[in-house]
Amino acid sequence: MTTEDKRKAVIAVRHLTVSYGPKPALLDITLSIEKGLLVGVIGPNGAGKSTLIKAILGFVHRDVGEVLIDGIDAEKARGRVAYVPQRGAVDWDFPITVGGVAMMGRYNRLPWYRSPGPEDVKAMREALEMVRMSEFEGRQIGQLSGGQQQRVFMARALAQGSDILLLDEPFAGVDAATERAILEVLERARSAGKTLVVVHHDLTTAAEYFDRLVLIKQRLFAYGTPEMVLREDLLSEVYEGKLRVFSDVFRKEAATS
Amino acid sequence: MNTLIDAFTGPLGEAYFQKSLMGASIVAIVASVVGCLVVLRRMAFLGDALSHAMIAGVAGGYLVMKMLFGLEANAPGMLLGSLLTAILTVGLIGFVSRISRIKEDTAIGIMYTGVFALGVVFVSIFRHYIHIDLMHFIMGDVLGISDVDLWASAIVAATVLTVIILFFRHFQIAAFDPVMAASIGLPIVLLDYVLTTCVSLVVVSAVSMVGVILVVGLLITPAATAYLLSDRLSRMMGLAALFGVTSVAGGLYLCVWLDTAGGGAIMVFATLQFLVVLILAPRYGMIARWLRQRRRVPQQLLEDVLGTLIRRAGEPVTIDVMRKYIPVAEGLKASLGKMVREELIVPVDGGFNLTRKGAEEASRILRAHRLWESYLEHIGTPATEVHNQAHILEHVRDHRSMDYLDSLLGHPERDPHGSEIPPKT
Repeated sequence: MTTEDKRKAVIAVRHLTVSYGPKPALLDITLSIEKGLLVGVIGPNGAGKSTLIKAILGFVHRDVGEVLIDGIDAEKARGRVAYVPQRGAVDWDFPITVGGVAMMGRYNRLPWYRSPGPEDVKAMREALEMVRMSEFEGRQIGQLSGGQQQRVFMARALAQGSDILLLDEPFAGVDAATERAILEVLERARSAGKTLVVVHHDLTTAAEYFDRLVLIKQRLFAYGTPEMVLREDLLSEVYEGKLRVFSDVFRKEAATS
Repeated sequence: MNTLIDAFTGPLGEAYFQKSLMGASIVAIVASVVGCLVVLRRMAFLGDALSHAMIAGVAGGYLVMKMLFGLEANAPGMLLGSLLTAILTVGLIGFVSRISRIKEDTAIGIMYTGVFALGVVFVSIFRHYIHIDLMHFIMGDVLGISDVDLWASAIVAATVLTVIILFFRHFQIAAFDPVMAASIGLPIVLLDYVLTTCVSLVVVSAVSMVGVILVVGLLITPAATAYLLSDRLSRMMGLAALFGVTSVAGGLYLCVWLDTAGGGAIMVFATLQFLVVLILAPRYGMIARWLRQRRRVPQQLLEDVLGTLIRRAGEPVTIDVMRKYIPVAEGLKASLGKMVREELIVPVDGGFNLTRKGAEEASRILRAHRLWESYLEHIGTPATEVHNQAHILEHVRDHRSMDYLDSLLGHPERDPHGSEIPPKT
């Protein structure tokens, strides 16, 4: 890896091995993600997708290797990376408005003795604008549709001001229209210069949605443009020959290219 | 010796003691059995709430019977009144948590204090008409049990136990997986109401003996004690009933010997019984848990022993020599014993040697260690850290990972220190 690469790579993972037991969750992962890309992480269940996300957040114990965010060790770079959780574990009855959730993104910048100031409100409003949720600012979060709820949490991540956003399966369990709306927000964030890493499980849409794909199963099988990654030989190795499922993917590939 | 026997048999000859023992045992059995479902469904707070809410019903029942029939302190009237308030309270709790965002625990807290307070106000306003001793209500009076109380509790117990036994499977599935129960067409809302009615009945009949505050203990403590000892609901219910009876018997003796409040003595005994089981229970107890932790041979230590033995190539190695090579050798003796039982190593002239199985395992560890060392050197780890890091990493040695490292490194034969990497087995 040259110094030039290092400078451009906002996320650099080098020789990362993480294990919880005799089987490694991640083995010898080396990966560098450049600024301003929309990156999808794909792989079968239990392939270590979530572990990779946690490693980038600096949450997991690494056996070997390093994870650098803008050249800084991930464990020391807390706050540079914003995380959007899965929709499941939220109390939707909680007395908080859309604006209140987005404002939480500013909390890490606020010292305990200060209330949010005008610049925080401005950042919060901009974030809501970016996910097109401005009109709902005063709405309680339980009164939103599933896709809108997802977008509020993306606004919170954007309000943190981080240049890197990690999203854990944002497209899980939403309908097609919502999926489009979320994708649109992701694309807007990318045009604003953010780098987005998205855990994704739907191979049929992966090529269409992402600039780059990461194919992992414990180790890195491929990283590159969708055409480079969605290759029959690679996928059959990773998904252990359950290829009938992919005939669709390749047909789509052929049609788009 | 005789005094000791007298201490046990003496009270048994007294009519009041016999009556208390019988009445309280009946109540304890049914309370403990129902309590099992209360514990499993995490409804303990509801049991507490019901017992408090009852006071309004007792006062109401008293007043109605006195106004309409001129009867003073009519027990069936008060019983019916408290049952009605209990059910009303449950209904209100369900209503509030259903129609609003208020969660159930808060709804319980609001409704039972409200109804309890209403009862207290009621008793104060009509204090010239109704003579309810609030203290009695709060503390209970197990030794002053009346024939009517005895009959009432016997009928309640028979009814509730019949319902629980007849519909055992229904209650079991509704407690374990309500969604599945509903999907196979069981009326779970009805079952819910039946269960809360049973709890109300039990609470009402138990309050006169142990009092408002302790009744929830009678409901859940024996059941929780049984919970620590059983893996089946039927067994849990049986044991709970047994613990209910022992609590009552033990408590009543305590009460006679020490001349204390009956309800208090029963619950003190039940709690002590729980603590003893908590410590001693064979699987879920504290000692069992501690022993399990102690018996587990740390994986790292096992690997270290195997690694040391294979590096000494067949010579027996004594414990003292091992201690020199193993960084953290705490519990080494126990681990060696366990490894002998697992047939990884055999004792030979004062030392230990690898068995065939042990040698295979050791060779896998050594291969993993040396492949990791080669890998670490390959990625540019400082030479001084290579061994230590490989020592930590050698626990990762599944075939897939090892094959990957092996081919990544171009199937090396020797590690960075020049030692041979054992072939794949």
